[in-house]
Amino acid sequence: MIRSFVSWFAVATMLTVAGASAVSAHHGTLVAYDREKQWTAKATVTEFRYLNPHAQIYFDVKDDKGTVTHWSGELLPNPAQLIATGWTRRRAMDALKAGTAITVTVAPPRAGGNVGLVMRILNDKGEELLGAQPVPAAAPPAAARP
Amino acid sequence: MRRLIALASVFALVSAADAESQARGAGPAPGAGAPAQGRGRAAGPGYPKFFDSNMPFDARDLAGIWTPNGAGFGGGGRCRDCGDRGFSFEFPVFTPAGQAAFDRNIPSYGRLKDSADAQAHPEEHIGRRRAQSPALGNDTYGTCNPMGMPRALLYPDPVEFMVLPDRILQHFEWGYGLRTIWMDGRKLPSPLDVDIPRWWGYAVGRWEGNTLVVESTGYDERTWIDHFGYPHSDEMVLRERYTRTNYDTIELTMTVTDPKYYAKPWTSETKRMHLLPKTFIQSSGWTGLLEDLCAPANELEFNRLIRDPAGTGKPAETGGRR
Repeated sequence: MIRSFVSWFAVATMLTVAGASAVSAHHGTLVAYDREKQWTAKATVTEFRYLNPHAQIYFDVKDDKGTVTHWSGELLPNPAQLIATGWTRRRAMDALKAGTAITVTVAPPRAGGNVGLVMRILNDKGEELLGAQPVPAAAPPAAARP
Repeated sequence: MRRLIALASVFALVSAADAESQARGAGPAPGAGAPAQGRGRAAGPGYPKFFDSNMPFDARDLAGIWTPNGAGFGGGGRCRDCGDRGFSFEFPVFTPAGQAAFDRNIPSYGRLKDSADAQAHPEEHIGRRRAQSPALGNDTYGTCNPMGMPRALLYPDPVEFMVLPDRILQHFEWGYGLRTIWMDGRKLPSPLDVDIPRWWGYAVGRWEGNTLVVESTGYDERTWIDHFGYPHSDEMVLRERYTRTNYDTIELTMTVTDPKYYAKPWTSETKRMHLLPKTFIQSSGWTGLLEDLCAPANELEFNRLIRDPAGTGKPAETGGRR
């Protein structure tokens, strides 16, 4: 019992923090998206790609009228970070097969269009996938100059 | 299991600093590090700490995997006391040619250009407040060209120092870049005598006491000094001073001398990196640096499918990926 709790705690801690530490990309991707306008919706995975420089997820979102919109999304964690937090390629690909129902939180592009920064993915059981987590919508105050 | 718990502890230690610094897209906030100065915001060292810093060490042995990364592994941000992705908070003094080169560069790191956030921080040089979407920028790294120096040292990912009898190799995890520092006593060429500038330059090193002093030149001027698009010319001479201050810490200070672009030498803050066990980075049970190669085949496809439509608003492809 204790052993399983420790295991759960370790994984949960890693996943929680991975979201925080995974928020910058090698090409400065953050500025392309508006995190103050992030939204959450149910979606269906059409494709998931476990690749450098960033994992990509493609998905369909259906609105109340039944209109389907296709989205492309990049994830903040790169494969190195996914590996570090236990999301191996096999595990990630199994969790996000085409047809999987998910709930996604997306920061839309400042320029408009249907390519977003995927901040969070939940499966139909409400479980967090890939460890991606929302970050503060607004930039925090800068620390004092040294 | 023990490894899992260790990893969890490591990530927990760095979470607060990373969350803030990465939201800014620029590594830890200025002054966020240096617990010795009383600026630490959270308990713990702010980096993956696996060693007793007080263990005996050979100050002239830099071999090993060193990380400026808050999580050790790579990606994410720099650790709390490692310094940020920028070369220096000191304002550079450009020559007219340097100013023109600076103005041509369009980085994607830092505060968003013309944003309220950027306007709220006039105390920072404009280089840190002019970021644009990668699709609108002109960072040559965006198409997988080598980062060059000293930028590669400012990226958060680990670097392995490999020490041979006549040279020290720096192997950078991100980009899988390899730089050679010759320790065989050869003389550094004058930048004006370099026939073919190199992405990774020409570097020589020597020991001054227990400090490794590296001087380098002959850099391809398409690389940037740091992530904020500060330029250098083909006349740049970079001086790095590495001092192993305890078992698991190297301190690094750097000076750029580039009379074509900078009216006076530009000096960095002290940057730090910390030692990782050889077995810390692993995937599929395979230890050692990851092959975090920036491969054009990956990058160009990513740019086409994600980066460019996100940054321009042009429709993304909805058909099958190629």
